[in-house]
Amino acid sequence: MAKLLLYLTLATSLIPLFSVAFSPENPTDRRVLVLVDDFAIKSSHSLYFGSLTSRGFQLEFKLADDPNIGLQRYGQYLYDALVLFCPSVERFGGSIDVASIVDFVDSGHDLIVAADSNASDLIREVATECGVDFDEDPAAMVIDHINYAVSNFDGDHTLIASDDFIKADAPVLFQGIGHSLNPANSLVLKVLSASSSAYSANPKSKLSNPPSLTGSAISLVSVVQARNNARILITGSLSMFSNRFFRSGVQKAGSSIKHEKSGNEQFLTEISKWVFHERGHLKAVNVRHHKVGESDEPAIYRINDDLEYSVEIYEWSGTSWEPYVSDDVQVQFYMMSPYVLKTLSTDQKGHYSAEFKVPDVYGVFQFKVEYQRLGYTSLSLSKQIPVRPYRHNEYERFLPAAYPYYGSAFSMMAGFFIFTIVHLYSK
Amino acid sequence: MARSPLRFLVLILAISICHAAGIFHPISDSHRSAALDLFKPVDGSFASLEEAYEALRTFEVLGIEKTAELSKAICKSVLGTLESSSSTPKDLFHALGVNGILKCSSKEETFEDQTSKTDLHLSDAEGTFRSIKALSQSDGRWRYSSNNPESSTFAAGIALEALSGVVSLASSEIDQFMIGAVKNDIVKLFDSIEKYDDGTFYFDEKLVNMREQQGPLATTSSVVRGLTAFSSVITESLNLPGDKILGIAKFFLGIGIPGDTKNFFDQVDLLACLENNRQVKVNTVLGSHAPPLTVTLVRAFSSSARDNSIIENQELKFDPQDAVYFLDDLPASFDVGEYIFVFKMLVQDSEQQTVYATGTLTQVPIYVTGLIKIENAKIAVLDSDLGSVETQKKLDLAGESTVSVSANHLQKLRLSFQMSTPLGNAFKPHQAFLRLRHETKVEHTFVVGSSGKKFEITLDFLGLVEKFFYLSGRYDIQLTVGDAVMENSLLREIGYVELDLPEPPENASRPPPQPVDPYTRYGPKAEITHIFRAPEKRPPEELSLAFLVLTILPLFGFIIGLLRLGVNLKNFPTSAVPATFAVIFHLGIAAVLLLYVLFWLKLDLFTTLKTLCFLGVFLMVVGHRTLSHLASASAKLKSA
Repeated sequence: MAKLLLYLTLATSLIPLFSVAFSPENPTDRRVLVLVDDFAIKSSHSLYFGSLTSRGFQLEFKLADDPNIGLQRYGQYLYDALVLFCPSVERFGGSIDVASIVDFVDSGHDLIVAADSNASDLIREVATECGVDFDEDPAAMVIDHINYAVSNFDGDHTLIASDDFIKADAPVLFQGIGHSLNPANSLVLKVLSASSSAYSANPKSKLSNPPSLTGSAISLVSVVQARNNARILITGSLSMFSNRFFRSGVQKAGSSIKHEKSGNEQFLTEISKWVFHERGHLKAVNVRHHKVGESDEPAIYRINDDLEYSVEIYEWSGTSWEPYVSDDVQVQFYMMSPYVLKTLSTDQKGHYSAEFKVPDVYGVFQFKVEYQRLGYTSLSLSKQIPVRPYRHNEYERFLPAAYPYYGSAFSMMAGFFIFTIVHLYSK
Repeated sequence: MARSPLRFLVLILAISICHAAGIFHPISDSHRSAALDLFKPVDGSFASLEEAYEALRTFEVLGIEKTAELSKAICKSVLGTLESSSSTPKDLFHALGVNGILKCSSKEETFEDQTSKTDLHLSDAEGTFRSIKALSQSDGRWRYSSNNPESSTFAAGIALEALSGVVSLASSEIDQFMIGAVKNDIVKLFDSIEKYDDGTFYFDEKLVNMREQQGPLATTSSVVRGLTAFSSVITESLNLPGDKILGIAKFFLGIGIPGDTKNFFDQVDLLACLENNRQVKVNTVLGSHAPPLTVTLVRAFSSSARDNSIIENQELKFDPQDAVYFLDDLPASFDVGEYIFVFKMLVQDSEQQTVYATGTLTQVPIYVTGLIKIENAKIAVLDSDLGSVETQKKLDLAGESTVSVSANHLQKLRLSFQMSTPLGNAFKPHQAFLRLRHETKVEHTFVVGSSGKKFEITLDFLGLVEKFFYLSGRYDIQLTVGDAVMENSLLREIGYVELDLPEPPENASRPPPQPVDPYTRYGPKAEITHIFRAPEKRPPEELSLAFLVLTILPLFGFIIGLLRLGVNLKNFPTSAVPATFAVIFHLGIAAVLLLYVLFWLKLDLFTTLKTLCFLGVFLMVVGHRTLSHLASASAKLKSA
């Protein structure tokens, strides 16, 4: 009996260890639903899936038209992230449609969309919801006659070797369709863009009109970080995830350097780390403010008080929270508009602080930290604090400038006292 | 329980069919490296015998050397499994498989022991055969066991393997009718084969609610393994459609390099099986020698003009040393472009025609590339009305020089150049773009049209003013010429044109917004410091003190004046009671004045007024007594 009890306690204490899903304390995604057109993708793209599995993700492969798929059950989402490797699907099976995918993202979950030439309207619609417009011509592919990859199996220069991203070791191979981004959309970001000689057209037919997408306006891979920090990766090439592209060597046309391995594996692995919140996830804790020289947080400040604001910011490294070091975190003292905007100084251990004087305007203010940096989740902290004017007895007394008035009044009083005596008793 | 002997049979027998294949022709180096990546032994050994068997079989097929330590470790576990009496049939099967590859020195009696066990099962071959056959379904698929009603293609493969094993080991002749029935089933099974657009065939599981989901790869491999096994034991050949066999081979090759060990094993083993069984010649992928073939280039035609073929019915010559077929002479009229070559393969030896399945017509797209000559590049500014040339400049598209021209909205810009192939024919590239880019990054792309060799584009700025959003200023000119068959595709900054366009009218469309650099979008903002209200201006302290002195001076003047007047206190009451009242009265006045001082220094209004109330009443009483005394005294004085 005692043994049974021991087992029970052990089992219950282990449950939290096993249920490792997305949570604010552990922001990396865990459960990923992969929708494919064909299970052959599971083996032809196995290196990519293998890298995800080895990092601890639980991949669940389903056919996109499987009638039993669904993103949520009883109002709970079953997955933390969704991978759409099904460019040709016309209708999802089960309860999934574009609206449910948008809801999935709106509730803070992540999404990877890979299209391909002949991408279906459904996939295009999903991309459009994310702020990305694929080339409308269904037969169009991105063609680049200058920055193509030398290969045996591609003659029409649709296999592009792109190294237009940060710190490229080897170019990334891309074969598929291009998309454009709306410049007014500040949430979507080009990660891999085509070179200026690229254009998006049907390689089989002659061009009479200029193609709608040309040059570096073509985006090959884009990412979106929504305002709720949900992250989306959109690319027009499913084959760039494939084992063939991961393993094949790259030689850019006109260049004598032959890379043993394309940059696809590194590029897509790193970007999947970002998408699945293994990187670039910030949290802020211990938001404090107090008057200089004190340590307790007051309920109200008086105008012209000197105060100190401090916050601790940590970055998720995939396994633990590391101090975030940066010199551009700013705090605002805000009422309708910022009255004070100050850069916080850091102790290099994640602690940020700033001292400033409360403005001589009273009202209800807010301490605001709106931290938005490329590649990081946005931090938005605000704390309300009222500011009052001076009380009547807090103004300055005994002004030197008023001494003549005081002096005259008191000399008058002294004179009155003497006068009363003299007037009454003098003979 | 019914499944276990069946499985055992399947497993035992599959070895005898595939294990002699020993083909040392790698599919490709990438397969080899992938194999080494995937089958990495953990701590010098494999987790299970099944894994070890798969790894070793793959290594064998791909011709990868195994390390001696590894073989030793595996041998040890193999012997352990064989000697222990409690091993499952599955373990035994894998152990035997590994043993076949590694040739571990195992004790003879162990083998005998195992063989006798096998015999036990095979004593009634005919009966076994029948009972397995009973599981088959009308559409060619098979059930797992007699009490499981769901049929599956995967099970069909296993069953076929088992059947072939039974046949090969059976001592008595199996009824030919039974074999015929099985062959019939196979043909039916092939009717359910699924097809891709490119002629690739594969088997897939129709049932979704299987206990274990089998992918198309596993299913197809199971079926093919069963088929090869079965066809190798029966005497007459199976008449299977050649294109389907070819399609299945294509499917396996088309998958590329799988990342899963299980799939990898399936793929490699199956290709080896296909090769070994000589049913299909898989495009020489596994690299064994093909029998004498006649390869004919049936046609070669340009992809743009499909009707006129350039070459017809040329036989390719065979070089026996390199085993390469080559085309002797390419016609001199071959120009750059995209061509499609159609090859036809025929087996010369009619005996082997039954053994090999060949792809009938193979289409191969071929790109003939070359250097394209670009000459006579000129840029000119024309007057709109007359068409007369205002300025004309020559361009050197190969060099680095740039040109600059200027124009207004009444003029035209003309760019022209000539392109020709090495043979001097006209050449029309897929991409011939002229791009004008304004300083504000607004871009306009135009397609350069052609007539024959001459390429020309004329930009009439009058008609383009609206499109250019009335943006005057400097436009950079960029010319891009490229094609898949052009080796010298170019992207050149030609120079710039200074455009002078009219002012935009009221309702002109605004240029589209340009993408913002994300780094500037998210950078830190400029600091804001609050500007505090300036304090009021005050006189210097010295001035205030000087005036303080000035305000006190009249008091001293008053006192001095009184002294000079000769004031005295002779009127002060002399008797005790009025004198006391007088003193108290004046002390009261002093107290009121002191209260005023205290009010200034620290007291608030309420305390002051309260105190003043008491002092006032008190003062009234004593003041009345004092003043009435003084008044009566003066009245007495007057009356006196």
